[in-house]
This record gives sequence, structure tokens and C-alpha cells, in this order.
Amino acid sequence: MNEKLQRALRPLIVILAIYLVLLIGPVASLDIPSIAAAAAKNPLQLVQFLIIGIANGAIMAIIALGYTLVYGIIELINFAHGDVVMVGTFTSLTVLSLTGTLDTKNPVHIILGLILALVLAVVVCAVLNATVERLAYRRLRNAPRLAPLISAIGMSFIIENFGLMWAGQSWLVPSFGTSGGASQKNFPDLLVNMFTNLGLNVNILASTGVHLRLTITGLVVIVLAAILMLGLRFFIQSTTLGKAMRATAQNRDAAKMLGINIDNVISATFLIGGGLAGAAGIMTGLYNNTAWWFMGFRAGLFAFTAAVLGGIGNITGAMLGGFIIGIVASFSDGILDARWTEAWVFAILVLILMFRPSGLLGEQVGDKA
Amino acid sequence: MKNIRTGLIFGIIGGVFTITFGGWGVAVLGVAMGIGLGLSLCGRLAPKEPSKLVIEALPAAVAAGVVLLIMSLLDNYFIESAIGNTPASLKLVIPANLIGVLGGIVLSLVIVALHGLSQGRERIGRLVLLAAVVIVFPFSDNLTGLGWTSLIIFALIYVILAMGLNIVVGYAGLLDLGYAAFFAIGAYTTGILSSAQDNITLNFWLVIWIAAAVAAVAGILLGAPTLRLRGDYLAIVTLGFGEIIPVVFNNLTSVTIEEPLTCWIIPGLQRLFGATPLNSCIVLANKVNVTNGDLGINPIGRPALPFIGTFVSNNPIPWYFLIIVIILFSIFLINRLRESRLGRAWMAIREDELAASQMGIDPVRTKLLAFSMGATFSGFAGAFFAAYIAGIFPSAFQFSTSIIILCAVILGGIGNVYGVIVGGLAIELADRLFLPALKDFLSGLMNHTVLPSLASNRTLHDIVAQNANPILYRYLLFGATLVIMMAVRPEGLMPSAQRRLELHEAEDAPNEAASKKN
Repeated sequence: MNEKLQRALRPLIVILAIYLVLLIGPVASLDIPSIAAAAAKNPLQLVQFLIIGIANGAIMAIIALGYTLVYGIIELINFAHGDVVMVGTFTSLTVLSLTGTLDTKNPVHIILGLILALVLAVVVCAVLNATVERLAYRRLRNAPRLAPLISAIGMSFIIENFGLMWAGQSWLVPSFGTSGGASQKNFPDLLVNMFTNLGLNVNILASTGVHLRLTITGLVVIVLAAILMLGLRFFIQSTTLGKAMRATAQNRDAAKMLGINIDNVISATFLIGGGLAGAAGIMTGLYNNTAWWFMGFRAGLFAFTAAVLGGIGNITGAMLGGFIIGIVASFSDGILDARWTEAWVFAILVLILMFRPSGLLGEQVGDKA
Repeated sequence: MKNIRTGLIFGIIGGVFTITFGGWGVAVLGVAMGIGLGLSLCGRLAPKEPSKLVIEALPAAVAAGVVLLIMSLLDNYFIESAIGNTPASLKLVIPANLIGVLGGIVLSLVIVALHGLSQGRERIGRLVLLAAVVIVFPFSDNLTGLGWTSLIIFALIYVILAMGLNIVVGYAGLLDLGYAAFFAIGAYTTGILSSAQDNITLNFWLVIWIAAAVAAVAGILLGAPTLRLRGDYLAIVTLGFGEIIPVVFNNLTSVTIEEPLTCWIIPGLQRLFGATPLNSCIVLANKVNVTNGDLGINPIGRPALPFIGTFVSNNPIPWYFLIIVIILFSIFLINRLRESRLGRAWMAIREDELAASQMGIDPVRTKLLAFSMGATFSGFAGAFFAAYIAGIFPSAFQFSTSIIILCAVILGGIGNVYGVIVGGLAIELADRLFLPALKDFLSGLMNHTVLPSLASNRTLHDIVAQNANPILYRYLLFGATLVIMMAVRPEGLMPSAQRRLELHEAEDAPNEAASKKN
């Protein structure tokens, strides 16, 4: 009887929900009639926001991979990960400044400088991430679960402070200016500048004749992210170390018995995650044109949300989640109202987790809580 | 010998704080040092006759007092001038040091002597002592002009918040990373109901209950979608709510609500069939500025009492006692809750949800009540906070606020209400009281001693001057404290007995395995 009643009530509840969305939605900038009207007027706009979303989502996915790799292996939310991304941005900006790449117009110099900045950002972030693990997490591996989480939050604060100090060193990087470490620093879009100087069209979609825009930087970001994702997939699936990582993630004790050095595998995981964060750091700097000591917080929050959305611990899930969050954020920024973007991203997360409590691709875990 | 060493350590710690604060600080710090030393010695000494205990503890207490006195005098006559202050006159130095040193020695001895009494009497004695310190503090602070009371009130707000979060995280075991959302809901309820912003001005004594009730309802509403989630998924959803709520409050500056049926569904259909639409749109709200966005709501109405009148900003004493009353009420309520059927159900759910539900505990109801009860206390805290600072801004309820509250719970000792109080006090006092004092001290030292000596080397001078601002290192100190604390004492300062036991069980298991291997 009760079940029948529930089934009969279900369409009513759906109608009520739709009505409420229509009633309250406009308060949070979700004004469906006017959005529909705008979309009907200019459907290409939607494709444009999709492109922006994919580029941002690619960066987010790379950051989310770092979260998910670490979570998969030691079940820790590595709160410091977003701040490692920030260190990657500052490392690359500093390298670009020291090598004179920021001031040159020589395309070879710019490309070599960018490659060097990418490599150094990856190395610095990888080492930093592994050091954080060694210093703060390793001794807490058997402590209650909240202890390493708090330690990770502490590490996040330390790295943020480090970034704040770094951004104040204008003797090291003159373009930081004299406004102190707390202000946002400009990260010039070197690739676009280079194309402009060479007289090429910055918009690589211009030749197709459609009114869409994808800058060269956006293309490079998407391609680089795709290479990194495919590379990581290959690494996890096919190399010995990748297999050792999967074994450790499945059952640490059993992996140990089979002769896998757990400490080394965990260090390697943090190295890889940090390296990805370094790459994401230079990509987000080039694409969004800012470097800020607090940027890691928002980047980390969104990327972590992406990892959870996809099912934390699942590598494909992290990529999927990254793209979903990137696209949602871009649509919200463009069509709704940027002030509400954060609220919409988390609202989508809550909605998805309500219906799939372990994320989109996550395994249905038992009572291991 | 060991006792004397403890005394010396406490003396040095007190001395370091004294050097940072200077002036009258030594009086308050000496008393605090005495309490700490007394409690620490009690942990070591076996209970026996009070007089014997006092004789045993006397050398330690005197050692601590002497160290404190030396460091205090050193500070006044050498260090103060190095940071650009004029040394205090004898009129201040003599009474301040006398109160600090003698007060510290006497208090530590009294606490040690109490240890010799029976357990029940020791408890009563300690409570009386604590009450005396709590009551005397604001008046002595007022007399000496240190101005710490208004800062300690912030710490006490965090104490309430930490106690509320402790219900959710400590008792029910639900990791909540967005607790500041409920704090915001309590504060904004107060702001909306008692300010000119929305033309409603209710009495504070009514509003504080409404705020708590609204927060409790919000706890149920936000808790409901999380019921199926476990572990870190729960954490991230609560974090999500913690991010959404401040964004919502920030953006409710021009709220327009039009009833959709009359405004565009029916007119649209009419237009579709070629009729001229009737113009009868029902508008529920038209560009209402509810929260005033970034600028925040202010001023907010303040509490008033007969004899005392309306509470004002420049006299923190009524506020101080109001929040002490709220804290005592909360402690009473939380202790009753923990012992109740509901409290035991929370702990059963925390230990094993499946087993608990088999024993007849309804997990849905239990979890929702945990969220709701936890939120109630942040409703109180939010109402007090809004009235105390007489204005609320969305930036006060960011993620970092949630994290600081969580850190207070974990640093203090998760699951133990007294540990949580210590944790909240420690974190907020460090943040509001100690770090600013340290900043003043270090920047004084920089500007008067270090920088002039570097004047010959311009580049070095500039680099040092740029990086010497200690406020830059606030996050570093906070982060380092968390990391070190977790490495040294992951169970917190004052863990609940049960938690300590569990922890050692968990620690022993791998050790046993390792020893077997060897």
C-alpha cells in the first residue's frame, strides 16, 4: 500500500520540483525562459562555452588525477595538492622570467623557454609532493583517519604561505611589481603574443569560417592534457610500477607480501601526482593569465570535486569529472552569472552524489566507511 | 629534580610569552603559567597529604617564578628598548611582576595541594578556582588596560562552534567540512531579523532562539541529502554546502521572484494559440536586497538587560559574561545529550552503523538529529557573533572558518567536550592574541634594531624589509602547528578516554606484527 502510494506520488513530486526550480531558480540566475530565448537566438554561443569548458576541464582533470591517484593508494584527501599546482605556476613564471622569455619576441626562445618552464615545474612539483608525503603523511599511515587529513590541511597552509612569500620577491621576478605578495600577478599568454608577433591568426578556428574561438593556448592545453592522460593510462596499465601501484591500492598487505616495496610505490605515486600538478600549474597560468598565492585553493577544491564526482580513486572517473565540472563552470560563467558558478558546481555535485553515492564511475563500497 | 625541570620549562614558556606581550602581560601570564604548572605537577605526583605535596612542589614553583621574573625584567630593561618602546616605570613593573610571580607560585601550589584531597573534593576545589579565575579575569583586564577580553570573546565564540561540531564529528562520527554554513545561517538570521536592512527589528533575546531554531532546521535540510553517503563522500558534500551557503548570502542582493504559471506559462500558451495574453503576473518579490552582498548587514541590534542597559562595543565585560553563560548552558546540554539514549545511539552509529541499525537504532533519525543538534549550537554562536560585531559579512564564513573549527576539535581531543574547549581556546587565542603581539614585537625589532644595522647594504636591506613582516607567516605558523601536533599527538591535547584506548589499539597492532617479524 505504502509503496503504491509512493509510486503514485512520484510524478507529483517531480512536477513540484520543476515548479520550484522555475520559481526559485531565477534568484540563483537560473532563469530558464530567458536562457532558452538567448540560446535560440545564438546557438553557436553554446558550442563556444563548450569549447572553453573543455579547455578548463582538461586542466581540472589533470589536477583531479593527482587527487585520485593519492586517494586510491592511501585513502587520503591530499588537501595540499591544489597548492602544489600554485607552486607549479610560480615555478614556471619564475623560470620564464629568469630565462628572459617574458621579454623576448624570438619564437624559438619562447618555445624553448616554455618547454624548460614545463620541465622544471613538473620536477619541482613532483619533488615537493613527495617531500610533503615523506614529512607529513608517512608516519601517520596507521593513525586514525582524521590525523593525516589535518596534517594535509596544515601542509596546505604552509605551502600557501610559501607562495605568498614567493610572490613578494620582486628582486627575483621583476614583473611581480611592488604591490607585495598578496596581490594577483600577471602571467602573460606567451603563445598568443608569439602568434600575434608572427602575424598569424590567434584563433585557430578562424579558417573554418564558423564564428567560434579557440586560441592557440587553448589548443596546446587540450593537446598536452590529452597526452598526459593517455600517458598516465598507459603507465598505470602496462608498466611494472603501474601494476605495483594498482596492487598496492587494492590491498596493501597482500602487495607487501608479494615483495612490493610499499613506501617506494607511495612515493612514486606522489611524484607522479606532483608532476601532473606541475604541468597543470603552467597550463592554468598560460590559459587563465594569473598567478596568485591563493589560486591553489579554488583549483584544488574544484579538482577535488571533480575527482569525487567521477568516483574517487578511479582514474577515468577523475578525467570525466574534470570535464563535467569544467563545462558546468563555463556554462554558468557565460550563460548564467559568474557570481553563482561556485554554488552551481557544488549543487551539481550534491545532486549527482544523491543519486549515485559513490560518484559516476566509483565502485559501490561496502560498509568500510 | 624532575619537578624543578618542569618548573623551569613552564617559567621559560611564560617568560617567552611575557617578552612578546610586555607590560602588564606578566601578571596574567604568570597566573596562567601557575595553573599550567600546577596541573602538570598533579599529573606526576602521587596523592598524599596536601602539606607534603606542597613541600614537594615548592622548588618547582619557585624555580618557575624566578625564571619568569628574570625574563620579565630582562624584557623591560633591555628588550623593550630594542623594539622601540620605552621601558615601563617602576610603578607598573613592581605590582605587575609581584602579581604575576607570586600569583603563579601560589596558584600552582594551591592546585597541587588540592590534589591531596579526595577526588570529589579536588574536583570541587578546581571548579571553584576555575570559576574565580574566569570571573576575576575581565575586571583585572579592564583595570590593567590590556584589552584582551574583547579578543577572548572571539575565542569563546569558537569554543561554542567547536562544541557543536564535536557532536557531529566526535559523537556521531560524521566528518563535516562545511560547518561554517550553519554559523552563517545563525548569523544571517540574526542580521535579517534585527537590522534596518529588512525592516525587521526583533529583540536579541528572541532572535537568538530563532537563529538556533533556523540553524537546527537547516541542519536537517542539509543533512538529508547526505544520509546515503559515507566517509569522504560525506565530507565533500558538506564542504559543498559550506561553499554554497556563503555564495548564496553574498548574492541575495536583488531578489526577484515571479510566479512562473501566471508570468509566462499561461501567457505563453495564450500567445501560442493567438490570444492576447492577460497581464496578471504575480510578483512575490521585486528586487529585494536581503543581505546587502559584500558590504554586509550592519548595524545589527544588540542585547539589552535591566541595570546593564544595551551592550556596547567598548565595554566587553557584559558580552564576556553573556558568552560564558551560553557556554555553560551548552556544556550542560551537551553532557546531558551524550548520556542520553540519543547520545549513545550517536556513538553506536559511529562505531558500526550496520550493527547499530540491527539493534533497533534508526540511522536516518539519529544522523539527522546529530546534524541538527550540532547546528543548533552554531546558531547560538552565530547570533552572538552578529550582535557582538554588529555587522556580518559573507567573508567571515569561508571554508577556512570551517577548517579552523575542525582543527580546534581535533587538536583539543575529538569526542571530549573539555578537550574541545581547550582546542578552541588554544587556536583562536594563538590567532587573535599571540600572533598579533608577536607581529608587533618582531616588526618593532626589525624597524629599530635589524634594519638600521643593514642600512649600508641597500639590496639586502630591501629584501629583509620586504620579507620581515611577521603577519606574512601567519599561515605558516598555523600550518606547522597542525602538522607537528598531528605527528606528535594525533589524538589531540585531551582525548576522550575511549578514543585514547582505540588509538593505542590501532597503534599496537602493526607494532606487534613488526615485532613478530623480527
